[in-house]
Amino acid sequence: MMLPIDIRPDKLSEEMLDYTRKLGQGMENLLNADAIDTGVSPKEAVYGEDKLVLYRYETPEGVTPGQPPLLIVYALVNRPYMTDIQEDRSTIKGLLATGQDVYLIDWGYPDQADSALTLDDYINGYIDRCVDHLCETHEVDKVNILGICQGGAFSLMYTSLHPDKVNNLVTMVTPVDFKTPDNLLSAWVQNVDIDLAVDTMGNIPGELLNWTFLSLKPFSLTGQKYVNMVDMLDDPNKVKNFLRMEKWIFDSPDQAGETFRQFTKDFYQSNGFINGGVKVGGREIDLKNISCPVLNIYALQDHLVPPDASKALKDLVGSKDYTELAFPGGHIGIYVSGKAQKEVTPAIGKWLNERT
Amino acid sequence: MSNDSFFTDNWLDLQRKYWDSWADMSRKAMGLEEDKKMTTPWEGALDHWWKAMSPAAPDFSQAFMEKMMEQGKSFFRMAETFANKPGDTAPSDGLSWWTKALEDMQKQFTGSLDDSGNTMQRMMSFWEMPLDNWQRMMSSMSPMPGDMLRNMPHEQFKDRIDRALSAPGLGYTREEQSQYQELMRRSVDYQAALQEYTSFYSRLGMKSVERMGDFIQGAIDSGKSIDSARALYDNWVSSCEAVYAEEVATPEYAEIHGRLVNAQMALKRRLAIMVDENLGAMNMPTRSELRTLQERLQETRRENKQLRQALHALEKQVAAISGKAPATALKASAPATRSTAKPSTRATTTRRKTAAKKTTASDD
Repeated sequence: MMLPIDIRPDKLSEEMLDYTRKLGQGMENLLNADAIDTGVSPKEAVYGEDKLVLYRYETPEGVTPGQPPLLIVYALVNRPYMTDIQEDRSTIKGLLATGQDVYLIDWGYPDQADSALTLDDYINGYIDRCVDHLCETHEVDKVNILGICQGGAFSLMYTSLHPDKVNNLVTMVTPVDFKTPDNLLSAWVQNVDIDLAVDTMGNIPGELLNWTFLSLKPFSLTGQKYVNMVDMLDDPNKVKNFLRMEKWIFDSPDQAGETFRQFTKDFYQSNGFINGGVKVGGREIDLKNISCPVLNIYALQDHLVPPDASKALKDLVGSKDYTELAFPGGHIGIYVSGKAQKEVTPAIGKWLNERT
Repeated sequence: MSNDSFFTDNWLDLQRKYWDSWADMSRKAMGLEEDKKMTTPWEGALDHWWKAMSPAAPDFSQAFMEKMMEQGKSFFRMAETFANKPGDTAPSDGLSWWTKALEDMQKQFTGSLDDSGNTMQRMMSFWEMPLDNWQRMMSSMSPMPGDMLRNMPHEQFKDRIDRALSAPGLGYTREEQSQYQELMRRSVDYQAALQEYTSFYSRLGMKSVERMGDFIQGAIDSGKSIDSARALYDNWVSSCEAVYAEEVATPEYAEIHGRLVNAQMALKRRLAIMVDENLGAMNMPTRSELRTLQERLQETRRENKQLRQALHALEKQVAAISGKAPATALKASAPATRSTAKPSTRATTTRRKTAAKKTTASDD
């Protein structure tokens, strides 16, 4: 009869030696690793206010940028360099190659002096002024918008309130129905006293959000992946890419308190896109106001924004030109995987070019 | 550092020699050579190696290496635990040995196994990971290192604490006594919430052991055998993650999670109120006053920006009629050096980072 677990001492010894040898080699690669760089495509700051900077990305040689410009609205959680994280894994680079004139809003790192910023300040203030700046400099009436994750929710709110300024809207891994049964983040936040948290902390620390995200899969995300990484330590490029991703994962800005309060209560707790009743700057958000073409992209293995949370958009927008794109990957893989570079970014470019 | 020849040549050579010696020692310890045996040599040796080598690692990779060391030790612990079965174990005895090992794991979670802090206890610390994450996060947001209330006994003193806290304050310092009583109440509440959270994880740990038992039974039924430490570790992680995913999706967990966060916030809130009162007594600005100012200032800035935007729109209309360019811009273009860089002190604690960050140019 065979034992279910039969690890022979000599094999165990070899395994352990192999692990430790790789760690030793890894040290060599880590010692030789340069500081971690992020954001690879050349860009220029063209507009700014407070901590916000609007960047314009340089169009590659041989490509003529189309009109109107494309404004990327990223989430407030984590940093937008995820979209341009390395040379061969860059959503922005892919979009530039399709002829888009790409702009990106970098929200910066809010501190306590920014705690009173509201959703109104972000939507009708910052985003609207960035759009106005683009309209003026490009002499157009409308821009294309690509909203990512929470930035997608912001883009939906913006387009609902300013439909006359948006030519085409692309949403990526964007939560719309915040109460799908598989949405763990939403389930956990239902019993949290958001008012108490914001009144106590002012801004919500990035560390608290990190803890929440890592708690979704604690053993894989804070344990197993480091054991797996040992197998890759002998490849300096893989080490660097891994460190780059680590930097991004733990680079979480604090959240402006009042915005966090409103966003979490109105959407995570009250499911505002579905149930209505959300007001920004005194005006109610109604997705039926969105009449421009909409491309909604979601990831089939997304554990942060489950596919059903995104797909709910279909029945809510007023647009007659609504397209969905399902990507076989996760919340991050949709920007950084090799497959995404081949499938997602070209699809966005093609869809926009067909409607411009 | 990366160009230092000592580190790229001599130091690494030294390191390799160290590994070779250590490997030899480990072989002996595992009984592959006739020599005196060591117990659990891997974890200890790895720890020893890292202590010697870590000072040379660059800052940005040190934390990363530490995580790999931490997980490596966890991986080694598991391998050692399951590889240390008696050498002459017959297959039939082997099954009962595994059953006992699983039972010991369960006892460890209930606290009824006393193995004097040895392998089983250290292996179970794998399940401390989610709690450890909480503790680290708490520490980053607190003036105290770690989570000071985590290991404080609670149940046995609860009645006495409750009685003491319900006594009314008296005399000239009545208000102050009341403040401290409230602080204590919040501390006790947080401690209770933390223990409830910890207990939840202990139950999850037991369920994971059951799941691992199912997996082992599946291996027996299918006649397959796990013959590598890595496969065992991966299966253990899968069992833990699967059980975790099921349990944290329950309404019960959502309530426990909510109570923990709320209790912590209530405690911090009470502390903040007391700090504010002391600051006020010293004639210094308080957080509460600053918040009021921040809100009023933001309201003014919001109006200012709206007026600027409206003025600009009007000017454009006038310009369109008169043929002259508008006098105001929406906002001056950002300089290329405008900072969105991460504040330099963020790597240490949340408390310090706000003071160090240089904000960008004010608009109004």
